[in-house]
Amino acid sequence: MREQLSRMEEELQEIIHRWKWVSWILVCAGLILVSRLWYLQIIHGEKLRKYSEINRLREAKIPAPRGIIFDRQGHILVDNFLDLELTITPQYLNHLEQAAKDISSIIQIAPQHIMEKVRLEEKKHGPFRPIVIKKHLDLNQVVRLKLLQWDYTGVDIQEAIIRHYPLKENGAHLFGYLSEIAKKQIPVFNKKYGKKFHFQPGDLIGKNGLESVWEYELRGEDGFSFVEVDVHNRKSISEISSLWSFKPKEPTPGNNLTLTIDKSLQETAYLSLLRKDKIGPRHGSVIVMKNNGEILAWVSYPSYNPNIFSIGLSTASWMKLADNPTNPLRNKPIQDHYAPGSIFKPIVALAALQEGLITADTLIDSPKELIFGRRTYHDYRKTGHGSIHLISAIERSANVFFYKLGINLGIDTIAKYARLFHLGKKTSIKLDGEVTGFIPDSKWKKKHLGEAWQPGENLVHAIGQGFILVTPLQMAVVYYAIATSEKIVKPFIVKKITDTNDKVIQTFSSQVIDTINEQQIKQEHFNTLRKALTQVVHGPQGTAKWWKVKDVKIAGKTGTAQVMSFSKDSIHEKCQERPLEQKHHGWFVAIAPADNPEITVSVLTEHSCSGSSGSAPIARDIIHAYFENKKRREVSSLSSSSEKAQ
Amino acid sequence: MNIQSQKGLSVIKKLNWSLIVTIVTLLIIGLINLYSISHRTHSTTTHLFYLQLVWITVGACIFLCISFINYHFFTRVAYILYSVNLIFLIMVHFFGSVFGGSKRWLDLGLFNYQPSETLKIILIFILARILSVKRSWKSMTLTELAKPLILILIPVLFIVFQPDLGTGLMILIITGSIIIFAKVHRNILFSCILCILCISPLAWNFILKDYQKNRILTFISPGRDPRGTGYNTIQSKIAIGSGQFLGKGFQKGTQSQLEFLPERHTDFIFSVLSEEHGFIGSTITIFLFLFLIILGFHTAFQSKDKVGVFLCIGMSFYMFWHMFINIGMTMGLLPIVGIPLPLLSYGGSSLLTTMVALGVISSVSFRRYLF
Repeated sequence: MREQLSRMEEELQEIIHRWKWVSWILVCAGLILVSRLWYLQIIHGEKLRKYSEINRLREAKIPAPRGIIFDRQGHILVDNFLDLELTITPQYLNHLEQAAKDISSIIQIAPQHIMEKVRLEEKKHGPFRPIVIKKHLDLNQVVRLKLLQWDYTGVDIQEAIIRHYPLKENGAHLFGYLSEIAKKQIPVFNKKYGKKFHFQPGDLIGKNGLESVWEYELRGEDGFSFVEVDVHNRKSISEISSLWSFKPKEPTPGNNLTLTIDKSLQETAYLSLLRKDKIGPRHGSVIVMKNNGEILAWVSYPSYNPNIFSIGLSTASWMKLADNPTNPLRNKPIQDHYAPGSIFKPIVALAALQEGLITADTLIDSPKELIFGRRTYHDYRKTGHGSIHLISAIERSANVFFYKLGINLGIDTIAKYARLFHLGKKTSIKLDGEVTGFIPDSKWKKKHLGEAWQPGENLVHAIGQGFILVTPLQMAVVYYAIATSEKIVKPFIVKKITDTNDKVIQTFSSQVIDTINEQQIKQEHFNTLRKALTQVVHGPQGTAKWWKVKDVKIAGKTGTAQVMSFSKDSIHEKCQERPLEQKHHGWFVAIAPADNPEITVSVLTEHSCSGSSGSAPIARDIIHAYFENKKRREVSSLSSSSEKAQ
Repeated sequence: MNIQSQKGLSVIKKLNWSLIVTIVTLLIIGLINLYSISHRTHSTTTHLFYLQLVWITVGACIFLCISFINYHFFTRVAYILYSVNLIFLIMVHFFGSVFGGSKRWLDLGLFNYQPSETLKIILIFILARILSVKRSWKSMTLTELAKPLILILIPVLFIVFQPDLGTGLMILIITGSIIIFAKVHRNILFSCILCILCISPLAWNFILKDYQKNRILTFISPGRDPRGTGYNTIQSKIAIGSGQFLGKGFQKGTQSQLEFLPERHTDFIFSVLSEEHGFIGSTITIFLFLFLIILGFHTAFQSKDKVGVFLCIGMSFYMFWHMFINIGMTMGLLPIVGIPLPLLSYGGSSLLTTMVALGVISSVSFRRYLF
């Protein structure tokens, strides 16, 4: 009993001890909370009350510029402009109707439109998000709007940045453009780039071209700041900001891209494609690739001016662009494929040499036409070529010679060699929307068309017609492989990424993705072929003999791709007299200098009738300009180094 | 001595009425508040008020049921409840719905169930069962501590990796308070603190997600991220401060009415109260909470057995820490963690678990006379 009592005593002591302990905690907690309330509500209460009623803490966005795009010499290809835009924050605007009327007279937008937009956006994003009413204010408008601000709080002029493309239509497909992010794309983008960026409605994102592919690098991070705004919309520095000590978040500009593009060559290529000769401005594409896969120029025409997207494109103008039958939005060098026509012949020639069908000296009779089966296959020259060997056949682009090779090789052998050059496959250049082109074979036809391969089709395919489809960029890669006798390169456009302080973040270099080895095609066959291709420009009967460049040996091949088959009677009809959609496409692919190749030029002109007059002059201009520039640069570097020596 | 007369008390009289009145008062304050923000013009959230009424009805039934159940039942089934809850917690990892980047909820069709919430209560049952076996009030040794610590840490690790650091820490704080209350040797306590100090830099680098680090950094300097978490703190402070002494009045709070506060129905409900009812209203509410908690502790000291003591202590700490951390957070005293204010915040999970906790206190109080 006594023991029990003493234990109860002990327990009582313990309980009293703890009771004290708990009470202290409760008292302290109560004191902390109440004194904090006192601090906020009584000591700072008046200021904070004013703050919540009159002075508003307003979020201000500090836009971050996107990265600048430079050419290989550091010339600007894409940069930014400062822009001013009018915004309305519904929360702070009391008389929307009156304000809309007054604003409308300055910016020429109907007051109903302004009100409708404000109401719609407010519903979507709440009353605190500033709503952009008009972009690209001019100075006069800014001054008048500033005066209006005295009457209407909630009307603001906000800085913005717009993208500027100084080359305008030139290279538009390569650079791409900016446009507002679509609502359903927001979660996709946040998933993709969520680590670095948070996308919101109204944000501009890169569409097409480099702007889209390099979004992650080019995009800047917007900054934010808070300003206090009084009833007259005057911004003031917060007296009590020490209460929460916020610092503005500085915007981080995007990274800059240095491209492999040569601005002056790009301009030459563009102007040359638009030359005003008999054919007139051509539709088509021009690719200039340096010997390591660097793209020096990339032109696609018809084009559009990407600056109109930055200014904000109306639906009508957009429809006009999108519905245009000439497809100005298409990036032709990779998004369109064509029959290669005669520029495919070198591959057939290599196949014939490697398979032992012919040697460089085998003479084959090439008359004006060949009757095979029940059909007659024509040469473009009415007189025929007589008995010629391979080099002449390529120089003159003799069809019958290749018909005969085609009959003996068969499509599957031709396809095998075409695939050695990665035809029918993407070049994997880092741009969106590339198509693969197509190399047919007998198995494919059986499977997909349900018909056996006809021997007659071998003839057509030997001269690059029929089912074969290639892109201009693929042909540049093929001819570069011919120039080096082995290398299949991956073309690339971005040379390096630098941050705003010019610190290099990443550099890119040439990438050989495949090589053609001696077992596949012997070196000597390439040598023969290159000799033949040189004859195309420099031989007496060459199909591009009019387009020489002084002091530079060019190897190339013209090609004329029929867009449809013609009846026997009309086959020799003048192409120029046909309706546009029936005119042939013209190809010219060249490597220069022939012996020690530096650049590969691939030109395709749509409906220009022939490669020789349609495309070759453009390639000539580019090669000419390239070596002129090079000479000039050498001279200037020589003179500067001699100056230094002095 | 007066046992005889107490036996004759009717069931109704034996209920702890001061506890019930305090709870009802707080619930009414909560409803007034919720009505104020959900019933403004053009509001799309009017249904929240009526839903809360439903939750309160359900909660009241639970409270009464538990009051009449012998609390020994809960400690007896504690391990079963614990195992079931652990299974739910693991299920969250596989079937949980992702909300705000972490998996916390199980979608049970009618409502979302957050296993980490019920775990808080069940761990208190477990601790009451283990700690009440101890014969004296002597300090616990390491071996005695091992069992409860392991039982606590297993689910806490799961929760932290959900990731829901806030709830994980909350559980540690509540259970830690109970264990310290049960008395731990000073050396063990100090070595624990030392351990935490050593682990925290590691946790900072390897366990904490970016957004969690961000919250802590933002708390230290709200200007760091004024748009995100810091913005909430700033706006909440403006709301509270602008209430001044008497408040702006019912439905007159501009900060809270105008959607400045993102989670004003749940985590920031106290800011709404402070803005509209000022220093007076807020202080009364805080005192009501403190009174409720004191009643809980008081019941503990009146309890006839140790199970009752530890249950009441546990539930009172549960109420105390939720209240203190939530209000501290809205006033910018503590980092922002997703912890609701008991009885005042909108939400079924929070309200029902709170009613269970209070029901247990009531049950202990109900049985204090039955020797």
